[in-house]
Amino acid sequence: MTSDLTDIFALAPAYPELALVIGAVLLLMIGVFQKNNHFMTINGLAIGLMGAVLVLLLFAPSDGVLFNGGFVQDEFSRFMKVLVLIGSIGALLVSVSAAEEHALNKFEYPVLVLLATLGMMMMISANDLISLYVALELQSLSLYVVAALKRDSARATEAGLKYFVLGALSSGMLLYGASMVYGFTGQTELGAITEAIALGEPSIGLIFGLVFLLAGLAFKISAVPFHMWTPDVYEGAPTPVTAFFAAAPKVAAMALFVRLTYGTFAPISTDWQQIVIFISILSMVLAAFAAIGQNNVKRLIAYSSIGHVGFALVGLSAGSQAGVQGVAIYMAVYLAMTIGLFACILSLKSDKGYIEQISDMKGLAQSRPFIAVIIAVMMFSLIGLPPLAGFFAKWQVFLAAVEARLYWLAVIGVLASAVSAFYYLRIVRTMYFDEPENNFAAAPMELTVVMGLAGLFVITYVFTFGGPIARMAEIAAASLH
Amino acid sequence: MTPAIGLGHFLTVAAILFTLGVFGIFLNRKNVIIILMSIELILLAVNINFVAFSAHLGDLAGQVFALMILTVAAAEAAIGLAILVVFFRNRGTIAVDDINMMKG
Amino acid sequence: MTLPLFFFYIFSAICIASALMVIASRNPVHSVLFLILAFVNAAGIFMLAGAEFLALILIVVYVGAVAVLFLFVVMMLDVDFAELGKGMLQYMPIAIVVGIIFGLELLMVAGSWFITPEVAGGSVLPIDAGVENTRALGQVIYTRYVYLFEAAGIVLLVAMIGAIVLTLRHKPGVRRQDIATQVGRRPKDAVEVVKVESGKGI
Repeated sequence: MTSDLTDIFALAPAYPELALVIGAVLLLMIGVFQKNNHFMTINGLAIGLMGAVLVLLLFAPSDGVLFNGGFVQDEFSRFMKVLVLIGSIGALLVSVSAAEEHALNKFEYPVLVLLATLGMMMMISANDLISLYVALELQSLSLYVVAALKRDSARATEAGLKYFVLGALSSGMLLYGASMVYGFTGQTELGAITEAIALGEPSIGLIFGLVFLLAGLAFKISAVPFHMWTPDVYEGAPTPVTAFFAAAPKVAAMALFVRLTYGTFAPISTDWQQIVIFISILSMVLAAFAAIGQNNVKRLIAYSSIGHVGFALVGLSAGSQAGVQGVAIYMAVYLAMTIGLFACILSLKSDKGYIEQISDMKGLAQSRPFIAVIIAVMMFSLIGLPPLAGFFAKWQVFLAAVEARLYWLAVIGVLASAVSAFYYLRIVRTMYFDEPENNFAAAPMELTVVMGLAGLFVITYVFTFGGPIARMAEIAAASLH
Repeated sequence: MTPAIGLGHFLTVAAILFTLGVFGIFLNRKNVIIILMSIELILLAVNINFVAFSAHLGDLAGQVFALMILTVAAAEAAIGLAILVVFFRNRGTIAVDDINMMKG
Repeated sequence: MTLPLFFFYIFSAICIASALMVIASRNPVHSVLFLILAFVNAAGIFMLAGAEFLALILIVVYVGAVAVLFLFVVMMLDVDFAELGKGMLQYMPIAIVVGIIFGLELLMVAGSWFITPEVAGGSVLPIDAGVENTRALGQVIYTRYVYLFEAAGIVLLVAMIGAIVLTLRHKPGVRRQDIATQVGRRPKDAVEVVKVESGKGI
């Protein structure tokens, strides 16, 4: 039995992960042995490292299966890893100015974000139930710590504790499902599981295992009915951390969800499609109605993100390549909108501190017109109004559902979008038609840049980014089979 | 594996332990320490499943999986207890407010 | 009844009973002790299934480290547990309903083995009867599963960073041992030889 570790060149598909882990350990060492707190340096280096890995992924692609089937790098994983890296870079960028106020200015924060990103990339590349579990836990454990990192705050630690308890429960369910799948197929490698399933009629134990696996993963993407933690954790955690949670981990968990259902369990697609349709409808509908009553910005975003997971799952419900392409596009657009929105929120600092409630944004259009315009654009895009990016993302997933003859699912999706317009527009109304109450300081430079980029992406999507992203997503979806 | 003990026996014990773990989480909603122990019970049940399947299939991969679960679960317990300790320092209690779905 | 089956019933009965006590006891210290009992008996079950290495690891790592860590935290946190236990009855009905439904479903699946003992497809790594369990695991863990081995190492690193960054507090005024100063101390820094004239004192 040989190990791939003997040949460094054979490891080329895993170079991005290797670079991340070596870099993370180096940064940790630098942080530990510096006398003073060098948060800014380490944060900058972490952003630079992830940028370098991004370049490596994009310009020196190398596909292959490594470690006896434990790790796979293909077009799909590359697409999703690029998204995850962009999400993590964005989250670290937007936390620069707010770190001190949120007690995040410790060098451990960027190091933990790096390790969480490493876990997400390993999750996306997981090709074996065991490596899937270990990668998922690497990601989750880092996120639990990051959620509670503001350790003197009762809210942040409570958020960390809630996230931990529910996350650990979901890991337990996922593991129980994995044990069932292992027992009924005798395999742990995903490809071998597919072959074993295709051989005969699926047994009740296998279906049971599938249900438990999907339930565990539904926790991680916060789909209804496993969404309970999301509003509390988003509200309790420091805002830069929430920005991180809302973007990259969702993309990674969604990638894993897609790989398991559309890839591994393809022979029993009718079984998982029912489950996915069910949680998709619940997520869209519950999020649309529950968000209406929210006054806290972060809780609102939490419900909004639950709804968007539901919309993305509409594409997966179709069980077709076009549907998976839709999911990939949706996650790309969702990522841009989320990072942009959080950049806006983190640049709204009045003399009373960072904003928490929607009412704090009153009259923002008069004091900070640029930020107000960007927020409004993000809101319209989140609703899915043409010609913004959100429209084309939704269009793609609904189209896939219609092609798969899931007409009513598409209709429910459109109706849920219409209901959700209500609370998104409320923010726009607050910004433009109410009298200003707060004086906001000027936005720091890096936040302005992130806001500008996100706004540019969302507005010009149809002319610029839309085509290339759709093509890449198509290749990515095709590589799963 | 000793042929005298059927696979069903192991799976039944694991199923009961798993249920007790989930039951414990719902029963002790306020006492986080017991919740952490319930999670350990759930992972123990999963491990029994893997070991039993490994013996039944004559396959070592199940035991490797169980070994990884043991390792990761130890790390998870350490982090869970660390978060619990900082929570306690802030609140002076270990009761977590109920997760209220319809809050706000 | 064969001897292994007899032992299996003993181990599993004690394991389940102590698991019940873990979640039902009012006193968390009792819970931890019952958790240890459950782990030890689960180790016996592992042993019966032929997973000797895992059985001993369960005792060494779980009973020796994790359960003791739990005990340590329970003792460290000064919590009024009687107060916490009061909420228990409140959730009893829903907990029982959830528990029973869950348990029945899982038992159904476990029970399906009694009815149709189907053997699944091939296996990944066939167990060689001639190689003892620990050696067999050792042969794959650093070769075939080296990726998992490394990944588990990173997970433990995260746990270490996490535990330190969350709980370590540098209190001012705490006197810590400084080995370099200790070793660097010379007799002339600490001891002074003074000639004292008799009857005068210092």
